[in-house]
Amino acid sequence: MALVRLVVFGFIALSVVYVAVWLYSRSVRREKLEKRWEAENPGGDRTARDAYVEKGMAEYHAGLRPKLILLVYVIPAVLVVAALIATNWN
Amino acid sequence: MARIRLIFRVLVFVILGGLFHYVLPQHDVARITSIEVIRMDFSSVNRIFFAQPDSAAREFATRDIRLINTVRRKAFLFGFVRREAEGVMVYRNEDTGWIWPPYFKFDSSDLQAEAADSISTAETPKWVVITHYGWRNRFFTIFPNAIAIRPVSGPDATVIPWFNIFFFVFLVLAWAFLRAMWRQFRERTVNPLLEDASDAYERVEDRASETKGRFRRWLDSWRSKPRR
Repeated sequence: MALVRLVVFGFIALSVVYVAVWLYSRSVRREKLEKRWEAENPGGDRTARDAYVEKGMAEYHAGLRPKLILLVYVIPAVLVVAALIATNWN
Repeated sequence: MARIRLIFRVLVFVILGGLFHYVLPQHDVARITSIEVIRMDFSSVNRIFFAQPDSAAREFATRDIRLINTVRRKAFLFGFVRREAEGVMVYRNEDTGWIWPPYFKFDSSDLQAEAADSISTAETPKWVVITHYGWRNRFFTIFPNAIAIRPVSGPDATVIPWFNIFFFVFLVLAWAFLRAMWRQFRERTVNPLLEDASDAYERVEDRASETKGRFRRWLDSWRSKPRR
């Protein structure tokens, strides 16, 4: 029963972390794209800028980086197993 | 205000420091003199300083507790600076199970057997490092919980607290990450919203001051006229 409790509450807590990191990573990427556009086309057209940023974001979402955020779930699980082995191994 | 903030910070520091001092693993160099089992009748005062019954067992108000009696090297500074003096120390040996603190310890019986294997006398001492967490307090009758026992060559063996090093490095990194996240959130989400809101507010105010005259006059027309 305690294991179920750990899994459920651990999942909830890690989901909060996951969503926060996901939003943060997205926001940082968008800011970077906007700044890059500003540097390359100072005072450029607004719709062209939006198109550039949306394209960059689509590439970001298709890439590997957002999937790496899933490590938020994997690493604690691995640490729990490691602690389990380290503590109980004779 | 500054004083309140200072008090608040000191309070947070003391509580967090106490929590870490209780929960994080510490290492004692000791020799085991005996093991025993006593019955404990917990009260609401000392119950929270004990873990749960053995894994898969039922919880009762009264339960047997495994104890490990030792003589250990006394130390300063969280065990980092060892003194020449020796003193007795009693550890409990309990499963922490799946929840708290997260040591995931299920092998209390095996640990008790290991402790029994390392019993020695003052004349022919067998020194061991006992990894433990928790506090010994005579007035509450609470004991630190032994997590692991490892034989060492002598009473001066060096112990590097790897876990605590990684833990505090992780804590600093997590704090820096959290701060970066908060700043990003404020810069990209809160500030634009506030700007929008203050723009909207100004627009409303402009219109209000325009209409105010008319509205005021209309409102005033309802008031009772001063008597002559």
